[in-house]
Formats: sequence, structure tokens, C-alpha cells
Amino acid sequence: MSGMKLAGAALGTVLFVAGAIGILESGAADVFLEATRPDFQKISLGVLGIQNGGGPEWLGGRLEEVLKKDVKRSLVFDLVDLPSLGIKVRDVGNGVGNGSKTVFKQAADNGVSVLVWGKAALKEGEKDSDVNMEGFVYDSGSDEVVGGKRYAGSPSVVRLMAHRFADELVFRYTGEPGIARTKIAYVSAQGAAREIYVMDYDGYDSRQLTADGFLNLMPRWSPDRRFLVFTAYRDRNTQDIDMIELATGKRWTVFSQGGLNITPALSPDGNFLAFASSHEGNSEIYRLDTRTKANQRLTVNPSGDLSPSWSPTGRELAFVSDRGGGPQLFLMSADGSNVRRLTFEGDYNAAPAWSPRGNWIAYVCRTRKEYKLCVITPDGQKRMQLTTGGGVDDSPSWSPDGRHLVFSSTADGKSHIYMIDSDGKNAERLTFEGTHNSAPAWSPAS
Amino acid sequence: MPKTPTTFYIVLIATVMLTGATGCSKKGVQSAGDQTSQPGTAQSGGSGTSSSSKSGVGSFPDTSMQSGSGGLKGLDKNPSEERVGAGEERLGGGSGAGSGTMLAKADPSGSAGRQMDEIRAEQAASSAAGLRDVYFGYDSWTISEEGRQALGRDAEWMKSNPSTMIKVEGHCDERGTAAYNLVLGEKRAKAIRNYLVELGVGANRLSVVSYGKERPFCNEHAESCYQQNRRGHLVVRTGK
Repeated sequence: MSGMKLAGAALGTVLFVAGAIGILESGAADVFLEATRPDFQKISLGVLGIQNGGGPEWLGGRLEEVLKKDVKRSLVFDLVDLPSLGIKVRDVGNGVGNGSKTVFKQAADNGVSVLVWGKAALKEGEKDSDVNMEGFVYDSGSDEVVGGKRYAGSPSVVRLMAHRFADELVFRYTGEPGIARTKIAYVSAQGAAREIYVMDYDGYDSRQLTADGFLNLMPRWSPDRRFLVFTAYRDRNTQDIDMIELATGKRWTVFSQGGLNITPALSPDGNFLAFASSHEGNSEIYRLDTRTKANQRLTVNPSGDLSPSWSPTGRELAFVSDRGGGPQLFLMSADGSNVRRLTFEGDYNAAPAWSPRGNWIAYVCRTRKEYKLCVITPDGQKRMQLTTGGGVDDSPSWSPDGRHLVFSSTADGKSHIYMIDSDGKNAERLTFEGTHNSAPAWSPAS
Repeated sequence: MPKTPTTFYIVLIATVMLTGATGCSKKGVQSAGDQTSQPGTAQSGGSGTSSSSKSGVGSFPDTSMQSGSGGLKGLDKNPSEERVGAGEERLGGGSGAGSGTMLAKADPSGSAGRQMDEIRAEQAASSAAGLRDVYFGYDSWTISEEGRQALGRDAEWMKSNPSTMIKVEGHCDERGTAAYNLVLGEKRAKAIRNYLVELGVGANRLSVVSYGKERPFCNEHAESCYQQNRRGHLVVRTGK
């Protein structure tokens, strides 16, 4: 399994180099999409290694690989390649002690601020086996541990241990919970059916959640990460909005008046469900109070209105309307007042996703007949295109830290799921199996 | 003429069989909804500036965010052992460490088998009827002259088979966003329904559904395939 996945990852890299997901060359590099602060300096961090303290050959290497990728993706740290600095990682030996002082000095001389070292072991029990991992953190030149973690768990949670340690590192240096343990919900084809899946944020450990053999579309997370809302087709003839509890698989219908019932989105406080429905004629946006069940219609227009996306405060909604001909982005207050058009460039702008920090709205923009990702500020003053090349990009969704986007693209032929930094760089393909993966939704942080 | 969608259905049926679902219960679809949801397609009246309606609305759990540091305890110079379990991320509700499965397994005993049987029955009835599909231009829901001729013949068949119920499916090509294509597909299906009503078919015999670009008839990235996917597909309903 993991071997296949690795082969897939390598293939993805090759395809990327071939320009599958292009990055806009002109201008993009000059504009920094501040996810935190414009002057944010990455902290240079080196991983000395996670060594095997007894156990199978793969164990330390697996933990180290997952940890390094998490550290890199955090965008909080600059992952330093220690061997390229002439630092012999193995010199640390069995623990940090005599002979390792040179390593710490070398690292400090090369400007590395943080070093991480750990070890892992597998204890075989009569019934269950246990993996133990220890990780230790060293600051700038000192061989004295500033902090560490000791984890124990079954071999099935090895990746999760590394993710958890990575999140601890981010938490220590930024006070944020990190994204290494977040999840991505998405749609995957099973033959002609489309079912809801959830995978880790790095594309591993996908699980199927629905299995009713028809169409389940557009999952979105509840703020507490325990539920998904999505569009389901009952008896293939009508659309409902369903909710599913991840832990139990318990599933039920939350809105079922006839017509189109699409693009559900729970408000940041969980008190409202915004969605598009045509049960009164054409597609309009509604706001359902999850406590009183009162359903308020927010748009009144003979054209199609859809895809509401909440601002992080819950006070505003971005949405799509084709009231001017082609689809364009609009903003309105959460009670439906103060509607104004946001996009004016191009004749097709859709699928808005308001960033968790509120400062950008990502969306699908059509340029030269290709459907690509763009971002625009809510005041409409700044706009930039994030992806280029062929294929249809769709369904952008932000990481909870606002530093990444996940989206689907047909750039490699079939529809698959990709991650990019919020400035469009570092495209990484996340799905490799199946014939169709789409509609990704990034979970909130825990 | 575009090819018939027969191969599509054969693939679909084979796939549904491969998923191995033999049960016909709706458990997978509505298991937890028994006490909460109110299935039904009651149309609410009015189309004023706002409407308030509780019909067709199910129950919502409290999903408000418990903010915090995500269960992180911070680094420690002398760390004590933390048990890492799949449930520790609180995806599964409880915050209990090592509380077993974080994600429930999908229930394959759902309605896949029933869907397969019904699709097969619909397909058989529809090909027996010889109903013609209608094809649309890019981003368009206008019915062409050719489409009108096809619908004219479809309407004749419907009038001579007055007990049949017809479902008009709206489909789109792969270009554009999934969400907007669902709206576009509904516009196509409704354009067809409205024209059939103009031709004298009873509106109560016609239902519309949009599949957007989610159930394409072909998958090639080429105009020859796109034009087959931009269609209104007429189906004789055999179930309820």
C-alpha cells in the first residue's frame, strides 16, 4: 500500500515538473499572499533523524519522512537539508551526548535555529504491538533539550504520531495548532456512482463514508469536525442535503424540499446552514437556522444564485450569481442585504471560498477558455491568478491556517486533488487512485 | 447522431454489482434519519422576499467549535508518555484517547442494489419507448430546432402513453465548475419540461432533475464528447 503510494508520489512529481499544474509566471512572485504577517520569517529547522531504537527497518524512516514533509508544509519552518551543509546526521549516534556537540555547533554556524532528533521502537506484545516514539527539540547551538514528547500507540497510528509531533512544533513556535492532523473530505467515483471520502491532509489513509451507489456531492465540514453536510440524491430523482456523523456513520436528511439542493455550508458558529435551493422556482440562496429551523430566503432573483461561502466572522457571504449573464462572484450580508458584485474581470467566475483569515476569496476564474484558480480581496482591490495550464480547476478550499489551498484539477487527464500554497506555489498531488476525485473540503483545525 | 447511452448503463450496472451490495434496505441512506428527517417533496408556497418554512427540515446537532490548542499538551523537558490513538483527534466526538475508530466504515448494505435494479428497469422502459434526447450548445439552455423536432416526437409518444411518468435529466459537459453545472443542468431540464408542456403534455407527468457534469455519457476531453454530454435525457419512470 505505502509502496504504491510512494510510487504515485514520485509520478506526481514527474507530472508536476512536466507542467501539469502551472504557476503563473508573471507578477505572482512579487506579490506575497500574507497568511500571517508580511514580514514572517520562516524558522530554519533541521531534522537529525528519527532513529530505530529497536524495531523494523522502516519505522524510524517512516516517522522521519512524515515529520519532514509536515515541517515543510507548515510553512512556519524552513526545512534545512543538514547533509548538504556537511553535517553528518549519523554522528548524533545513539542519543545526544559525547561527539554530538560538533553537530550542534556546525548547525548553529550554518544558521539552523532548531534541531529535532528522535528515536522509535516497536514492542511486540502477545496480543498487540506498540510503537514508541520519542522526539526532542534543541534550540540554536545548545545540546540541551528544550522540550520533547513521548508517544505510544499501535503501529497503525505511526503517521499520526509524526503529524502530532509536527503540530507540537508549530504550536511551540507560533501558538497555532498546526494543520498536520487536519483532514480533507472529497468525492470519489465508484464506477458511475460518486461517494464521500475523508483522507488525511497529505492524501494518506482515505476512508469511504457513503456507499449508496448513486450521487453524493460537495461535502463541507461542521466547525467541530464531527459532521459533514453534503448533497445526496434520494431515489436518483430529487436532491436532499444530508448530514453524516464521522465517528458512527449515522446519516440523516436535514433539508428535503423538492428541487435543486446544493452547495451547503455551515456557518463558523454552526448556527446556520447556507445553501442553494430551487424549491421555490429557480436556484436561490437560503439560510436555515439550525436551532429554530426557520429557513430564510436571502436572494430574490430570476437568475441562478448558488455556492454561498461564509466569511470567518459569519457576518457576510460570498456567492455566485448569473444575474449579469455568466456566473460572477457577489457579496452580501448574512441577512441577504447589501448585495454587491465582487468580480468584473472575465465572463465566468465561480466556486468562491472565503479564507479563514478573511483577507482573500479564492475562486474559479475562466481565462482563455481554461478554468483556473484566482484569489481576490473582499474589497475587490487586489486580484491574482494562482494556477495556469490546461484542464479544469474546481472547488478551492482553504487550509485552516490560510497558508494552503486544496482543489480538484483535470490537468493530468482525470480529475484529482491537489494542494498549493496560498501564492500558487509548491503544487502537490494528493490522490492517485480511482478515475475521479473532486470537491475537496479541508477540515477545520482541531 | 450521438451514440446511445447503452454502454454507459452497462458500465454502471457492472460497477454497481461489483460494489457487492445485495441488500435493498434503505438503511444506509436514512438510518439515522428515521427519527429526525421528514422525507417528502412538499412544495412550499409563495415566492416573496422571504419565506419561513419548517417542512422538510431535519434535526441539527450542536456543531459549534470548541476552540483550543487541538489537544496539544506542549513540549516538555521530561515528557511523560502520551497514548496516541486514532480517536484522539476528536473527529469521533469523544476526546477519549485511544477511543477506537475515528471514522466509521461505510455501510455497503445501502441502496446500491436497489439503485441498480431501478436504473435497469428505467433504462429498459426508456429504450422501449424510443424517447429522443435533446442536445445543447456550450453554456446554453436554449432548445435548438433539432431539439424541438425531437421533443415533438417525444410529446406524441407521451400523449399516446398517457399513464407514463417522465423524468427529464439535465446534463452538462466537464467544463466549468461542478456547482454551476448543476444549475445549468436544471435550466436545461426545465427548458425541456416547459416545451413539452407547451406541446400539451401534462406538467404533472414531468419531473426534472439535474445531474450537472456528474453522470457523463462519455469521458474524453474533446468537443465530440462534450456535445454528447450537454443533453437533456428523457427517462420513463418505473418506480414511485
